[in-house]
Amino acid sequence: MAVGVMACGRETPTSVNDGLFPDEPITVEVRLTWDEFASGLEVLGGYGSPLDLGRGILANGFGGTLSARTLAAMDTVPRSASVRDTTGTTRSDSVLTFLGGRLVATFDTLSSTNTGPVTLLMGTVDQEFHPRTVTWDHAVDTINDRREWVEPGASPWVPLATAVWDPGASDSTWFELDSAALAPLVKKGEFGPGVRIDILSEGDRLEIQNLVLRVNTRPSINPDTIIPVTVNRRGLTFIYNPAPSPSTDAVRIGGAPAWRTILNLNVPLQLNGPESLCEAVGCPVPLSAERLNYAALLLHSRASEEGFQPSDTVGLDARPVLAPEALPKAPLGNSLIGTLGRRVPPSAFGSAPGAEVEIPVTAFLQDQLRGETSSGGVPPTTLALLSVFEPVSIAYATFYGPGGPLGPVLKLVVTAGKTVELP
Amino acid sequence: MKRLMKGAVLVAVVVVASAQAASAQSIFSGAGLGYPVGSEDGRARALGGVGIGLMGADVSPSDPAALALLVAPTAIVTSQPSWVTFDQTETGESGSFQNTRFPMVGVAYPAWKLGMMSVTFGSVFDQRFEARRDAAADLSGGAVDATDTFVSEGGSSRLNLSVGRMVSPNVAVGLTVGRYSGRIVRRLVRELDSLAVDNSVQPFQSGGLWSYSGTSVTGGVSLQFSDIGRVAGSVTWSGDLNAEASEDTPGRDGSYAIPLHIRVGGSALLAPGLMLAAGYSSADWSGTAADVVGGVGQATNNFGVGIELTRAALLGRSTPLRLGYRSADLPFGFDGTTPTETAFTAGMGIVLNEQAGIVLASMDIGLERGERKDSTLAERFWRATLTLRVAGF
Repeated sequence: MAVGVMACGRETPTSVNDGLFPDEPITVEVRLTWDEFASGLEVLGGYGSPLDLGRGILANGFGGTLSARTLAAMDTVPRSASVRDTTGTTRSDSVLTFLGGRLVATFDTLSSTNTGPVTLLMGTVDQEFHPRTVTWDHAVDTINDRREWVEPGASPWVPLATAVWDPGASDSTWFELDSAALAPLVKKGEFGPGVRIDILSEGDRLEIQNLVLRVNTRPSINPDTIIPVTVNRRGLTFIYNPAPSPSTDAVRIGGAPAWRTILNLNVPLQLNGPESLCEAVGCPVPLSAERLNYAALLLHSRASEEGFQPSDTVGLDARPVLAPEALPKAPLGNSLIGTLGRRVPPSAFGSAPGAEVEIPVTAFLQDQLRGETSSGGVPPTTLALLSVFEPVSIAYATFYGPGGPLGPVLKLVVTAGKTVELP
Repeated sequence: MKRLMKGAVLVAVVVVASAQAASAQSIFSGAGLGYPVGSEDGRARALGGVGIGLMGADVSPSDPAALALLVAPTAIVTSQPSWVTFDQTETGESGSFQNTRFPMVGVAYPAWKLGMMSVTFGSVFDQRFEARRDAAADLSGGAVDATDTFVSEGGSSRLNLSVGRMVSPNVAVGLTVGRYSGRIVRRLVRELDSLAVDNSVQPFQSGGLWSYSGTSVTGGVSLQFSDIGRVAGSVTWSGDLNAEASEDTPGRDGSYAIPLHIRVGGSALLAPGLMLAAGYSSADWSGTAADVVGGVGQATNNFGVGIELTRAALLGRSTPLRLGYRSADLPFGFDGTTPTETAFTAGMGIVLNEQAGIVLASMDIGLERGERKDSTLAERFWRATLTLRVAGF
């Protein structure tokens, strides 16, 4: 039996003898035009809020048109601090003298477009605003509460300090605040101060990663000491003008709030070409999930509006729309692409348009061909194209819409062969 | 009854084990209905392999009369590892593979006044093989390399119920009723070169699953000439071997005519301690040719001859030594060829436990060095056959 055990490793006899094979299948690529596979293109906007980014945007005539301002809703400045007195005992001191401070801004150097120094201006906004719904025109835009700014663009405001940021020297800069400049920020009130930052230099778009306000105080119980106090932030957001014009003839994905493109995909149930396929198995060829090896939506990139052209790689996602009748708030299914999405360089939407981008939709169409999803449900036919995270940037991706030579195309890789029979 | 149940459970366990371990042993598994798998035990293999008419009792569905000579309940399991190298002259391809299979398991038990009864399970045709070839797909970016893999898994097997009975002091008869079973999965897979296409391109798969069914009946008779010789013969008739496609298999059902299988063999003592055994079997598979793709099938004539030194002993235990030779035609070949298999055989038996002249446990080992070939393919193999036999439970 030892010999038997010794030889228990199983190796299937394997040969390259052609006589062992059934008829050879044929693999072809098929490209379908928009009218042959899709309908109902619709671009929907308003998903998420710039607040969700947790970042600030600054622009002044970027792309010739875009202006963007960063708004930070700060908590009230702390009025007391734990201080060690002259005897070494730590006590709470609520009589603090505010000496000055600094507002430190850290930038995303990859997403920011400037290569040289730029001048920034910060100040305070007296008017209360709602960080999640604030826009260029409205300070608050919630249900049953819509309040415009006194002047559009978070105005009026009180400019307090300027700073210069040189990306070649550092990834951050700060606004130095003396006691007079600090006074509007530390005044007592129901709400903390609103901070507004503008860029004075023209033609660039900057992205602020973080914003920290530090205040230097002198305690009454130990006047020889200076204590720095950090002011908490309730929200970091931005407002911009003009808003992108609605898209009527293009596929638009991304932005903040985000845009999604919705379309109906209906894969044909049989193919009548190409010629090589018909010669091999005869046309029409019924298209089945087993025969469909790959399916992708082919999109051709187009330059986005200049103010909203991406400055960093864009991640595209595709998800089935589970209840199209509930659009624009319809729930979406799992990603067809994966966690990182389809990565597209920013140049495709600016300096080098016309790039071909493949969005794989194989599983989506295979479900349609089977007539049910893997869980036995009715397969969706509506697809949403969106950015991997929403929102991820003020910029958005644009692709040519249906109707032109660079319009969306459905690419199919199909293998067909005669049925495998018994020997 | 309790003991009968115990035996049945033992058979069931061994049958399950054999189904999991089954594996192929020849590229000829891809020809016609596959490679025929004999149910011979280690002793029969060592003596040239026809396996009928050997002196002594046996549990063999193709020699049901030998059952009648059993004096105690017996369980038998046979294991068969093999090592194969092959050369294909047409393609210049060569290689090797190894595997182990269990050609037969069974249990025999007294059947009240009928005689001795056995239940055995064994392979009939082995259809396990895999083939690969290079292919190409014409995509918009240009030709893309592809690999086609065709996998055939499984084969036909048979569950046999046999009864053997002495009808006179020298004459025994036996009957086996067999039920074909087993299944075959045939699958063609095409994979495109993952470096040339998006890695989310899925392989193409096509194929199906078929289940075998059918009936066979074997009748056998043997004559015992005192203690110096025995001759036996059997004939197996089979109805069509039917292959039914599963519900989701697009392929058609199949039906194969199985020819009459005739076996004769005998053994005789030439001198004290020296036994000669010889056997012959025949079946005409040309009628099956019309049912298989390619239409290749031939009449097969198999013969084997061997000698056994019955008085050899090792460490005081009876250890018979055996030598033999056999030649067999394979029923199916590729492209009109007629493959044959020849082998020199040797082996030994080891009596592990003997009480009052009854062997309660023994092992038989057969070793073959042989060759299978047709006009383009040659396989050389070492094959060991180990049979463990336990009696008196």
